[in-house]
Amino acid sequence: MSDLKSRLPDEVKHILGRMVDASGRERLLISLGSFVLALVAGALLLLVSGAFASCESPVFGLGGLQFCYNPIEVYSVMLNGAVGSPYSLGLTLRETTLLILAGVAVAVTFQAGIFNIGTQGQFIFGGLAGAAVVHYTADLLPANVVGGGGLFALGMMAAALIGALYGALPGILLAYYDANEVITTIMLNFIATAVAFTIVRSFLREGAAVQTTLIPDYATPPAIIFPSASSFSILILVPTLLIAVGAHYLLNNSPLGYNIRVSGEQPTAAEYSGVDSKQVIVRTFTLSGVIGGLAGGVFVFMVLGYWQPSVPQVGFDGITVSVLAANNPLGVIPAAALFGILQSGSVALDLQLGVPRQLAGVLRGIIILFVAMPEFMRMIGRRLGLGESSATSAVTGTEANDD
Amino acid sequence: MIEDMNLTRIENTTLTRRRIGLLALAIVAVVALLVSPYRDGITSIVNVGFFNTALVLSVPITLAGIGGLYSEKSGVINIGIEGFLIAGAFTSVLVTGATAGSLGADNAVWLGLLAAVVVGSVGALVFGVVCIRYKADQVIAGLAVWFIFLGLAPFLSRVYWGNINSPTVATFNQVAIPILSDIPWIGRLLFTNYPTTYIMLIVVPVAWYVLKHTSFGMWVRASGEHPESLDTAGINVNRVRYVSIMISGALSGIGGAALTLSTVGQFIGQGQTIVGGDGFIGIVAYLMGNYNPLGTFAAALLFAGLDALQLRLQQIGLDIAPELFGAVPYVAVIIVLVLFGYTRIPANAGENYESGDD
Repeated sequence: MSDLKSRLPDEVKHILGRMVDASGRERLLISLGSFVLALVAGALLLLVSGAFASCESPVFGLGGLQFCYNPIEVYSVMLNGAVGSPYSLGLTLRETTLLILAGVAVAVTFQAGIFNIGTQGQFIFGGLAGAAVVHYTADLLPANVVGGGGLFALGMMAAALIGALYGALPGILLAYYDANEVITTIMLNFIATAVAFTIVRSFLREGAAVQTTLIPDYATPPAIIFPSASSFSILILVPTLLIAVGAHYLLNNSPLGYNIRVSGEQPTAAEYSGVDSKQVIVRTFTLSGVIGGLAGGVFVFMVLGYWQPSVPQVGFDGITVSVLAANNPLGVIPAAALFGILQSGSVALDLQLGVPRQLAGVLRGIIILFVAMPEFMRMIGRRLGLGESSATSAVTGTEANDD
Repeated sequence: MIEDMNLTRIENTTLTRRRIGLLALAIVAVVALLVSPYRDGITSIVNVGFFNTALVLSVPITLAGIGGLYSEKSGVINIGIEGFLIAGAFTSVLVTGATAGSLGADNAVWLGLLAAVVVGSVGALVFGVVCIRYKADQVIAGLAVWFIFLGLAPFLSRVYWGNINSPTVATFNQVAIPILSDIPWIGRLLFTNYPTTYIMLIVVPVAWYVLKHTSFGMWVRASGEHPESLDTAGINVNRVRYVSIMISGALSGIGGAALTLSTVGQFIGQGQTIVGGDGFIGIVAYLMGNYNPLGTFAAALLFAGLDALQLRLQQIGLDIAPELFGAVPYVAVIIVLVLFGYTRIPANAGENYESGDD
C-alpha cells in the first residue's frame, strides 16, 4: 500500500500545495478521504444487507448465502443515474441547488461555533410560506410572465422572511436564555412539521389530499437547457451560487463575518475584544434562517410545484454538506455537488435495482462520522504512507505510541 | 477558582428556586383544576388509564435520559442516544419477528429485548472509540450516530421487509404482580404493567444509588469533573468513560425496545422513525433533573404526561388537530430549557483526557 504515495505525481502535490495552505490541504484530504471511506463502508453494508434481501436473481452466492447487491454495480448505477443523461444531470443539479442553500445556511452558524440543526425547520416553513403566497395572491396577479415573476418574487421574499424569523428564535433562546441550540433547533424542527401540517390541512388544503394549491406554470422558473421533467432551472442555480460566494465574502470581509469567525474560533478572545456575542448569535441565526427559508422556497417553486407535509430532509443533508466543506461557503459548492450525485443516484438505484434509496441517508451519517474524527483519518493517511507531509506529522508526532 | 465555585453556587440556588417555583405552580394548577367546575370533566380524562399510559411513554425517555446522564457525567456528551433508541427499536422488532416462529412469542420478545441491549451497547462502544481513541468532536459525532441510525433503520426495514415500516410482531404482555396489583389505584398504575416498565422502575433507583453511593459512581463523577485526580488515584479515566458510554447504549437499547415491544409491536421508519425525538427529550429530562436519575425520571414523567394527555384527548374524541397537539411535548421541552438551560455541565464534559503516563 505504501507505494501509493510514490505513484502520486509530484506535480499534483505541488499544485495542491500551492492552492491551499498546509492545514487547508489536510482538511481537503480529510473530506475527500471521509467521502471515499463512507462509500467503502456503504459497499460493506450493501454486501451484508444483500444477504438478507430477497431477490429473484442473486448477484453471487457464497457458501449457501445469496447476495443480492453488488456494490460496484450499485455505485455505477448511482453514478449513471446521477450524470448519465441530460435528464439525470438536471436532477442532480436540482438536488445540488437545494444542498448549496442548505449547506451555506448551516455553514454560517457552524463557523460561529453554533451547532444549528434547525435548517430543516426553516426549510419547511420557508416552503410553506411560498406556497401560502401563491394560495392567496395567485388570483390577484395577471396570469402571464410578469404576474408569474411577481408571484415568484413575493413567494421567495415570504420564504426568506419566515425563515429569518424561525431562525432568529433559537438564536434568541441561546443568546438570552442559554437554551442549548442543538436541542431547541431539533425541537423546533418537530414543531415546524406539526404546525405546517395543521396549517395546510386547515387553511391551504386543495382537494382531499393534505397539500397546497399547484403553483401555476407561469410562476415556475423556466427549464432552460435541461428537460423540464427534471424540474431544474439554471436561472435558480446561478443566484444560488452567488449566495454561496456572497456568504464567503461576507464571512471574510465584513465586520459581522469577522465577529462570526472569531466567536467560533476564539470565543474568549471575541468577548475580550468587545464583540457583542449575543447579537452575533442572533444575527448569525437570522442570516442562516434566511438562506434556509430560501431553500424551502426553491423547493416549492422549482422542484415540487406545491407543498405537502412529507418534505425531504434537505436541512439535515445541509449539515453533511457543510461539515464536508469544513463550513466554508465556497467549499459547500463542490460538497453539495458530491452529495447531490449521491441523492439523485440513490433514486435511480431504487428504481433500477430495487436497492432502498435510504442508502443515501446512511451515507449522510457515515460521512459526518469520518469527518468528525480527523485523528482516525490521519491514522489511515499514515497507513497509506501519506502521513509524512508537514501538516500531519506535526500533529501525529505526539501520537507515535498509538501504532 | 473560588469565583467559579461561587458562581456555581449562585446558579444552583437560582435553579433550585426555579425548580421549587415550577413545582409549586404545578401543584397550585392541579388543585385549582380539581376544585373548579371542570372537575368531573378532568377526572374523566386524567384517570388511572392516563397515568398508566404516561408511565409507559416515560420508559424510553427515562432510560435514554439516565444513560445520557451517565455518559455526560463521565465526560462524554452523548447526543447520539436518539440514534441508539432507533437502533433498539428496530433491532427488537427484527429479532422478535424473526424468532417468534421457532421460539414462541413469549421467548422471542425477551430475545428481542436482549438483542436491542447488545446492539445499543456495541454501537455505543464504537461511539466511545470514535470519541475517546480518535478524539472526535463529541457533538458532531453524536449527530452522526443519530443520522446513521435514522438512515440505517429505514434502509434495513426496506431490505428485510420490503417496506419502510415493519409488519406487526409479538409484544410483551402486561404482567400483574401478585398481591401488589390488588392495591386499589396504585396496583393498576404501578403493578399491572409491561416488563420494560418494571425494568425502568428498577433502573431509576439503582442508577441513583450507584451514582451517589458507590465507588463506581464516584469514579464516573470524578471522570467528568476532575479526571486528573481520578488518574492520580490509579483509576483508568478512559475505561470509566467507556463503561459509562456503554451503559448509555444499553439503557437506550432497552428504551427503544420498550417503544416497540410494549404497545405498538411495529417499527415505523417514516419521518423521524417511531422514536420521534424521545432521545433528545431524554437529554432535556436529565438537564431538568440536574443530572440526578430520580429528577430525570420526574422530568420524563412530565413530558410523557403531556404526550399521554394529547393521546387521551384524541381518545375521547375532542375535536382538536392531533398533529398540532402532538407538538406540545416539544414546546414544553423548549420552555423547560429556557427555565433550566443554564445547568452547570460537568467541568470536563466534551474534553478529551490523556493520561500523562502513556
